[in-house]
Amino acid sequence: MSFLRNKWILIALLTLCWAIATSFLAGYYYLQYNDLSAKVRGVIISASLGIDYGNGSGIIWHNETRMNAGSTLLNLTKLVAHVNYTKSLSGASIDAIDGVSNSYPSWWMWWSSSTNGWVLGSVACDRYVVGENETLLWYFQDITTYPPTPPP
Amino acid sequence: MAESLNKGWMDNPTRRTPLNTFKIAIIATLCALSIGTNYALIGVSNIKFMDFIVFFGGFCFGSTVGASIGVLSWLIYGLINPLGFVPQVWVATMFAESIYGLVGGVIGTKLRSSSFQGQRLRASVFFATVGFLPTVLYDLVTNIVYAFSFNVPLVVAVFTGAPMTVLHEVANAAIFGVCTVPLISVLGRNIMRQRICPS
Repeated sequence: MSFLRNKWILIALLTLCWAIATSFLAGYYYLQYNDLSAKVRGVIISASLGIDYGNGSGIIWHNETRMNAGSTLLNLTKLVAHVNYTKSLSGASIDAIDGVSNSYPSWWMWWSSSTNGWVLGSVACDRYVVGENETLLWYFQDITTYPPTPPP
Repeated sequence: MAESLNKGWMDNPTRRTPLNTFKIAIIATLCALSIGTNYALIGVSNIKFMDFIVFFGGFCFGSTVGASIGVLSWLIYGLINPLGFVPQVWVATMFAESIYGLVGGVIGTKLRSSSFQGQRLRASVFFATVGFLPTVLYDLVTNIVYAFSFNVPLVVAVFTGAPMTVLHEVANAAIFGVCTVPLISVLGRNIMRQRICPS
């Protein structure tokens, strides 16, 4: 039993067990996700997208825009506006919407509406899958302070 | 003759000797125990004592006895299984179950005479991982055979049942982790001293 005195052997064994269990579960959820997305493909949902160009004209709303279930915020934005964006490992970042380009200190940020008010988007717009009847907003805003000020 | 064979094996359980009355009795008793507990827990999916009993048989009495308990338990339990009978899966589980007996035998050879004094917790953690890892192999083998038997894609067969697989592995880890050290300690104190399970 002398090998038990080396705690790293036990830690290695436990880590191995944990890695195996989580890998199995990751594979399971991946299959479930693929199955579910295949089932909802072709289903049409609608969502509302607002765009605030930051020029004082207020928010321009595109209400009840229809799209395929599983569409991302980038897909939705491309349906209602002309978008320039750059893809990277962390996802797509918006360069300009309808010709209004990022220029420090103003930047395009996206927000989603919740019961507690506007919530700042936490992932790239091509990683966020839009839900049925969801309300989202592109806000061209000052980002010198963090977190940025929520839309009015 | 039988007595001398019996005595010889008791003195050294790992020595290669023909099957004797004692070994047969141990195999039959542990088989009955594992089958009985499996039927008792038929309503609880993937939480069973059979794997532990097979491992324990291997640990105390050697790989051959352990593997025999595994094969024979599934031979009977698989034939009269309320959940159904599929010949290919039955054969696969029969031989996969022997993994626990083989692992028990290998570990038993090294640790049968060990004292866990002062490191019971570490020993329990070790035996929990010993319960977990052969279960991964067992589940993989049975899932692969299931995939080929029912023409299911291999990846789908392996990962669709993942929650049940993980439940099986975690349950075995818990059973092995909680039960092995106390059981071996009790045997060491009481039974091994009487040379039924020699150290």
